[in-house]
Amino acid sequence: MDRMLPFGLPGPTAFYVSLYVATLAVHVVFMNYVLAGVGYLAVASFRGKRKGADGGPVELSDVLRDWMPFATSAAITAGVAPLLFVQILYRKEFYTANLLLFHRWMAILPLLIVGFYLLYLLKTPWIGGQSAVVRGVVALGALACFSFTGLSWTENHLLSTDRASWPGLYERGSMVYYHPQLLPRLGMWAVGAIPTMCALAAWQMYYLQRKGAGVDPRQPRNLARLAIAGVLLSVACGAAYWRQLDASAQGHIVGKAAGPYFAAACFGLVLQVGSWLAHAPRSDFRRQALMVCTLGLALTIAGMTAVREAIRLSVIDVSPLYAQHADAARKGGLVVFVVFFLVNAGLIGWCLCLTRKRSESATVE
Amino acid sequence: MQDISYPINDFGPVIKGMVIGGLGIFHVFLAQFAIGGGMLMCYFQWLAQKGRSAPARRFLDGYFKVLVLVSFVAGALTGVGMWFTTIQISPRTIGVMVEEFHWIWATEWTFFCLEIAAGYAFYRCGKGLTDGARMTLLMLYTVAAWFSLFWINGILSWQLTPGGWTHDRSVWSGFFNPSFWPSLLFRTIVSLTIASLAACVVINAIGAFTREERAELIRRAANCLAPMVLMPLLGVWYLAVIPEDSRSWVQGGSAAMTMFMGISVAASVLIGGYALVGLIWQRLYVSGATATLLLSLAFGATAGGEFVREGVRKPFTVREYLYSNAVKADELAALRRSGGVTADPFPLRNAGAYPTEQLRLGAKVFRFQCSVCHTMSGVNGLTHLAGTWTTEQKRMNIAKLQHTKPFMPPFAGNAEELEALVQLLEWQTAGRPGRWDQSTDRAVIREVQEWLDEAGTAPGTEPHTVGGASPASPDTRQPGKQEGR
Repeated sequence: MDRMLPFGLPGPTAFYVSLYVATLAVHVVFMNYVLAGVGYLAVASFRGKRKGADGGPVELSDVLRDWMPFATSAAITAGVAPLLFVQILYRKEFYTANLLLFHRWMAILPLLIVGFYLLYLLKTPWIGGQSAVVRGVVALGALACFSFTGLSWTENHLLSTDRASWPGLYERGSMVYYHPQLLPRLGMWAVGAIPTMCALAAWQMYYLQRKGAGVDPRQPRNLARLAIAGVLLSVACGAAYWRQLDASAQGHIVGKAAGPYFAAACFGLVLQVGSWLAHAPRSDFRRQALMVCTLGLALTIAGMTAVREAIRLSVIDVSPLYAQHADAARKGGLVVFVVFFLVNAGLIGWCLCLTRKRSESATVE
Repeated sequence: MQDISYPINDFGPVIKGMVIGGLGIFHVFLAQFAIGGGMLMCYFQWLAQKGRSAPARRFLDGYFKVLVLVSFVAGALTGVGMWFTTIQISPRTIGVMVEEFHWIWATEWTFFCLEIAAGYAFYRCGKGLTDGARMTLLMLYTVAAWFSLFWINGILSWQLTPGGWTHDRSVWSGFFNPSFWPSLLFRTIVSLTIASLAACVVINAIGAFTREERAELIRRAANCLAPMVLMPLLGVWYLAVIPEDSRSWVQGGSAAMTMFMGISVAASVLIGGYALVGLIWQRLYVSGATATLLLSLAFGATAGGEFVREGVRKPFTVREYLYSNAVKADELAALRRSGGVTADPFPLRNAGAYPTEQLRLGAKVFRFQCSVCHTMSGVNGLTHLAGTWTTEQKRMNIAKLQHTKPFMPPFAGNAEELEALVQLLEWQTAGRPGRWDQSTDRAVIREVQEWLDEAGTAPGTEPHTVGGASPASPDTRQPGKQEGR
């Protein structure tokens, strides 16, 4: 591609690529929150002391434990849209990778269900009364389930772009695919999840702070350290991943196709680190700094999601699929989708407004 | 022609239909529970607001937690699982469905997002909200859940009755197909039924209620079973609009279809009879054990109904367009010439187990054409079904497959491939000996070719015309030959 993604592509392909990238970016936000959040809970559960009846000041683990089931639900729901568009864009590649990984791939479903229920279990009063080991094992179980899912997705994605390996893998009946890019790529996305979780959790604690809930004053500093560590580790994994990419993919990343997105992602990292450095010495969360952090996060996620697609397009010859994309674009229903997207987005907003209509007589949960 | 080759997996002694069917039944049951649960909760919220039922509000909050735990987790993930499983079973089928209806699916997704948002808003904040806000959230949840059914129902019913889509390829002709409305209304009542029965289980499971409160709540929940009286009418309407051959499968044409239909109807009659006479008219109390039994019966009815819905589509996965072995009707003529597996890039996993090249070809043909519904020697195994046929019978019956059994698709390959499949069946039936002679007689191939030509490429569900020409696939007409039966 000699133009910036998606402009170098025919209209229908560009349209579906844009939709895919946009919806995937939303999914990544929730996915990052869940993955990094469960990881933090696993560590905190082993290390943390059981809280007394008064609960004490609000800590990161309290917020995560409370919101993790909803975030998981949101991640799964948000994941449906890119899952739909990837089937339009790369049907053959996606389906073949699914089929080749077979039971290994399908195992993500029961494991996600188990992981999801373990998160609900972590919220129950019963688990609060258990030892740190029991709580840690439950959180670790959830982390294992979600990590396996992340590994499987990375494997699936890389396999889908490696057409030459398909017949051999099938013949061997192997359900495991290894590629030198696998671990650095997985590492980059996994540790890259930490800054996202920190930013979202910081907003949650900011609002708790505004409501007068007693937020632990060490939280801004702790989150800042965690987020900056996440940024640095993801940069390190990103460098390792870069070394595994071939020259063509590297050229796409820094060239016209994805260069602007890569630059935006890097700039986003700088904004995030800057805002966290501003938070580090404070005992409360600051709105302006969080807004800068969020802007940086948005740039990084959107930029990296676009870069991810540019790398795929550098490996897959998508031109034979143009006619298929054009066929799909001619199918009816787009107007109905747009109308209901807007209506339902408005109704979701209304739902949020309704939660403020507290009954005077009722107790607040 | 499109590249139709995908790696095909083997599920051992289990047929793929059992895998997708098992998950599908479970998912449909959970999804319908979520839809009916919304309606039921709106009713109980209304009762609470109007002061008509003192324990309604407490029950509602407890019931909603069960619904969230069951439906938002297992229900949502089995929904995604249906996509993944369908890819494992028939990637081309899901590919066609996604391509044709991706905006419908995307629209459904917006309703699913609303369902999750309204549901979680109620789950987290419901206890502290005003009655008006509670009712609004529940209504939004219910409408969103029902519309999810609305959109998905259009896609699923299109598979059996594509209606005008067959001719104009319009999404809306396919969506509002002949079985859309009876199917939608029937499923709506099923949803209410499942939710009501689940409510009776939950009412008994929540220890905080007195016996009187339970009786009161059960009586209210049973009211939502009343629409079951419409189910026979909707069932008849549904049967009236599905294709004649599909209708004949459940009316004795297929023992399995008829039996599962019978199970579904019998279970529904038992539930309906108990609900209408016992719960609504006699106002009987229902214990947790009885409620669980009734809910299990509802699961049985759902399982039977879904099995029938999937089964009566045979030999298609999309009526008159895509056969159950994922071959499009308009691809058959080309595959008869070129061969079905000629372009298949995926080697056999156990090629060394076959003593001849012809048997290896036969194994590839089996994998491509048969393995979606059959195993070799397990469930629905070919050696059980055709092992006793003579070699000649095998050749002719497979060549004229759609006429041998009208719920089978036409053979999608050339005469050499058919002979290779026959040899594979012979070899398997003989106990897989280490030595096996290749069948090289050209006269046999010519005879098979004649039978293939006589059978044509039209489905067996249509009246057998000379040459087997199909109005849907004019390019598949063969030179006229006299039917040899």
